[in-house]
Amino acid sequence: MVEALIFYMFAFVLIASAVMVVVSRNPVHSVLFLVMAFFNTAGLFVLLGAEFIAMMLVIVYVGAVAVLFLFVVMMLEIGKVSMKEGMVTYLPVGLFVGLVLLAELVFVYLGWEMAEGAADRRLFPTPDASEVANTHALGQIIYTHNVYLFQISGLILLVAMIGAIVLSLRTRPGVRKQDIADQLDRRREDAVELHKVESGAGIK
Amino acid sequence: MMDHAFLQDYLPILIFLMIAGGMAVLAVLASWLVGRQNPDPEKISSYECGFEPFAETQGKFDVRFYLVAILFIIFDLEIAFLFPWAVSLGYTGAFGFWSMVVFLGILTVGFIYEWKKGALEWE
Amino acid sequence: MEAMTEIGVFEIGMTHYLVLGAMLFMLGVFGIFLNRRNIIVILMSVELMLLAVTINMVTFSAFLQDLTGQIFALFILTVAAAEAAIGLAILMVFFRNRGIISVDVVNRMKG
Repeated sequence: MVEALIFYMFAFVLIASAVMVVVSRNPVHSVLFLVMAFFNTAGLFVLLGAEFIAMMLVIVYVGAVAVLFLFVVMMLEIGKVSMKEGMVTYLPVGLFVGLVLLAELVFVYLGWEMAEGAADRRLFPTPDASEVANTHALGQIIYTHNVYLFQISGLILLVAMIGAIVLSLRTRPGVRKQDIADQLDRRREDAVELHKVESGAGIK
Repeated sequence: MMDHAFLQDYLPILIFLMIAGGMAVLAVLASWLVGRQNPDPEKISSYECGFEPFAETQGKFDVRFYLVAILFIIFDLEIAFLFPWAVSLGYTGAFGFWSMVVFLGILTVGFIYEWKKGALEWE
Repeated sequence: MEAMTEIGVFEIGMTHYLVLGAMLFMLGVFGIFLNRRNIIVILMSVELMLLAVTINMVTFSAFLQDLTGQIFALFILTVAAAEAAIGLAILMVFFRNRGIISVDVVNRMKG
């Protein structure tokens, strides 16, 4: 009962903030509603018993991805006015495609039936939560049974890192930087010259 | 579906969230209700010194913040993968250990790349 | 599985979560069509769709008592974060070169 109420609360706020992400006029508000949506999804995941995914959603999505979106929205100064032009013209198409997709999903769900004996063919049955915590249970299979997926995700992260640097790193020419090793390496002989200056002759 | 025993552990967090949300709503609502709101043309026009009383919240950011944020995401994910690894290392043993070492090695390649490229320097 | 068939208001079953995921996915699709002027909001809509997929994965994982769904949710989140990073980087380079982020002019990227 209480659980149902909590579910409805999270689900309602999630859908409401997703609607606001889509229709909001100011992109900054869109990002903040996206954060709200991520947060409520994390709540739902906790309700489902997927604690680690919930925490990852909060740490990685709310903490990093949403901040990235916020940076980009702040960086690109886009006029609010011109942005939502044409929203009305695309409304029928969007509604049509959305409803067709929804109908398809409903058909799939209505026609879907669990195969015989599917419950016995589970790949990694969830251990009892009171014995093995969710994070521990995930750790037992990510690094051993799913090692290739794990390494591929590492490679994807590498590609993302290098791609982001290639795309957005601009070094300005002619910027003088401090080079501490160079400064420490400097000897007296390199920097100071002593001359005996004759009176009236000066130094060339 | 599943046992709900562990959900009890999250009750304080739920209460905390409700109190936090309630406080936020209360603060906004109170300042809206209690504050006197009768704007006249003098109040909402530009100040004498030229500033606008109401301006966009968006300010221009330097692009370099963006690069730092991206690199933060990547390493944040890396650390998120470290949590279950650390918890279950006793179970996964040497294979789990070396699997993570390879993963970290791949990301270290990227780290060396960005270091050499100067992406971590601020100029 | 008896968890599938029960559709009560106060008994939260698989159906509730699946409907939620479908609604979220539809909102994402809707957002892509609605915000043709602004690629940032389109990327956010894509994030919403990926979130819907993740909800489905975790739902099936929880109700079928199989951890595979959660593993896949984990990798979906990883790939989605990488996608957001690269997508926004491309978007910024595009904005710097063109000064606009409308979908209508993105086809000029070719050639």
